[in-house]
Amino acid sequence: MKLIRLALIAASAALSMSASAAGIADKLEQLGEMTYLKVSEMRVAKRDGLLAVQVEVSNTDASNQQLYYRFKWLDESGFSVWGEEAWKPVLIYGKQKKMINEVAPTPRASDFRMEVQSPNNSTNNISSPSSNGGGSN
Amino acid sequence: MSMRHTLKLTTAAVAALILAGCASTNSPTVGGGNVSYGDSKAVETVSNEFGSTDLQMIAETMARSLAQHPVMRERPFITLSEVKNKTSEYIDTRNITNSIKTQLMKSGARFVTDTATMDTQTDELMRQSQSGMYSKGKSAKVGKMQGAKYLLTGEITSITKKNKDVKDVFYKFTLMLKNVEEGIDEWQDEKEIRKTSKR
Repeated sequence: MKLIRLALIAASAALSMSASAAGIADKLEQLGEMTYLKVSEMRVAKRDGLLAVQVEVSNTDASNQQLYYRFKWLDESGFSVWGEEAWKPVLIYGKQKKMINEVAPTPRASDFRMEVQSPNNSTNNISSPSSNGGGSN
Repeated sequence: MSMRHTLKLTTAAVAALILAGCASTNSPTVGGGNVSYGDSKAVETVSNEFGSTDLQMIAETMARSLAQHPVMRERPFITLSEVKNKTSEYIDTRNITNSIKTQLMKSGARFVTDTATMDTQTDELMRQSQSGMYSKGKSAKVGKMQGAKYLLTGEITSITKKNKDVKDVFYKFTLMLKNVEEGIDEWQDEKEIRKTSKR
């Protein structure tokens, strides 16, 4: 019994770790690569059956930056389980690290994608085909 | 058919193909092109007044916050009361509560008929039960409506300030869930929005 419990703890620990370290790039959909804003951290956990996401966005620039974001909620097969969300505007001060917290609207959501766009983009950075698959940033 | 005739026909066919290939197809639209459809989920910054993005953000934040409350796990019956508009501008608060209700219902919440649609529903109930026109076994009966355990209500307020350069509007939307029988405020949350525009 104890062994099972230990195994369960280990499994859940592995799951939460993989969720946080699974690569921000897998969950992030940038509409043009952002120059000044970076998604520096992403945490995922399931609380009371609902997927909770915490994202830290860092402003590397000294001036204020505008961010637009929204989430897509998916089930384990990758199907969308919620309608299209409204884009949300956020102001991020110079050098600030802003936390964005979101909870899935339905227990059916087991995965997500975060769409981000900042008006101060440098889309030229993504013109090289290598960065497309390589995800160097 | 002569060889020359065949050649002429083929040339004509090829020319027709090339011409058709070059032309772009018509979109299934009518109109002069002055009207276009945009993204209904876009961040709207046309003016400083209460807008679609404010409505969407309030509804989303409130519905998600309430959906996490332990009370909602039992799927109790909820009724909707009007949200008071205490701002100086005209805001269709029914629109906000409707959006909140839609999102909550998609998450599994259950609502009973509220005052806005009560007349329509009770008129139909009366017609079925008292007009004598309906078959007794196949019509709705009086006295079976469900009462709500909880009431959802709230208010929206605003603070507007301006100087010669800037106009600043601060909205605060408060929503609360009241236990009707026990008179307890079970849950409350608020969403703040700041909009600043240059004059």
